[in-house]
Amino acid sequence: MRLIQKNICINFIASLFTLSAIFSCGSENNKLPILGERDWVTKTVDGKEIVDTIYNVIPPFTFVNQDSDTITEKIVEGKIYVSDFFFTSCPTICPVMKRQMLKVFKEIKANPDVMIISHTIDPEHDTPQVLHKYAEDLGVEGKQWQFVTGPKDKIYEIGQKNYMSTAKEDKSAEGGYIHSGAFILVDKEKHVRGMYDGTTDEGTQKLLKDITTLLEEYKK
Amino acid sequence: MIRPAGALLVLGLLNDACQSSQELKSEQYFAEGYQLYTTYCSNCHQTDGKGMSGLYPPLVGSGQLTEKSRLACIIKNGMSDTIMVNGKEFSRPMPPNPKLKDLEIAEIVTYLNIKWGKDSVFTSIEFVEKSLKDCAPN
Repeated sequence: MRLIQKNICINFIASLFTLSAIFSCGSENNKLPILGERDWVTKTVDGKEIVDTIYNVIPPFTFVNQDSDTITEKIVEGKIYVSDFFFTSCPTICPVMKRQMLKVFKEIKANPDVMIISHTIDPEHDTPQVLHKYAEDLGVEGKQWQFVTGPKDKIYEIGQKNYMSTAKEDKSAEGGYIHSGAFILVDKEKHVRGMYDGTTDEGTQKLLKDITTLLEEYKK
Repeated sequence: MIRPAGALLVLGLLNDACQSSQELKSEQYFAEGYQLYTTYCSNCHQTDGKGMSGLYPPLVGSGQLTEKSRLACIIKNGMSDTIMVNGKEFSRPMPPNPKLKDLEIAEIVTYLNIKWGKDSVFTSIEFVEKSLKDCAPN
């Protein structure tokens, strides 16, 4: 049973890009689902056996940003954030994603409770200096949008395992890397609450709507 | 169209046929060029040709657009120089497009110069061939 449930969830994640309908894994109406692999533990409370769900959580991280500052998960403490993966010399989907992310940036700019973290998947080339110039050329100032670099294996690991976003080197791909065009929405508890196609306007609009929905959760 | 009979008519017809085939070719190049532009260029330079912030330069109003020999070379071989476009400096390298054939480059150059330049007819393959020969990397 557990296996089946897991499969349902995984299938459901896989079909997220095509189906933006109502989520079966979510428990309440108007509440965004918690995405990712789950585990269940059984424990005994007051003599009764209860099942606890362990959700996918973004683990602690240490990266370096466009201002050459070391940042950790503390930077998003008490905030919700949008995450993505890119590289500055990417000729294919990154410019499209960054144009969409600029729209997100403009929307959240007034709200200190929301951040953006863009991870480079080409850390050898994308040093903090390169990221700084990129942010500047994009017209992004301040700390709300972090462009981060770090050890390649750490970026790929967190990307694939926790943000559920493909990121790997592929010499045959244009630009040398393949990665998904996903924007990933993370809540204050570090749960992934939504994945969106960052290459389309529809995906971006859905993300903006869900950011509002997620912020509502914390108002209660 | 009414024309005098005789030789003039024949000449006129020839002329018309010539013009319309050139027009047709221009339209074909433009349409193909639009498709190619969408695939290879618009990610960065955008559908409206206005570029993106300080990252990717605009094509609209750019001096590089009407220098068609150079334009063909940039499309094929990419570029790593710092350039000034409409008073702004751009230094991000543009990747080469080695897979593009001469015809395809002619179609893109045609599209760009009819859309955002002052051309009304297509740029020929022969022109692109010659331009690329002149700027071929050693």
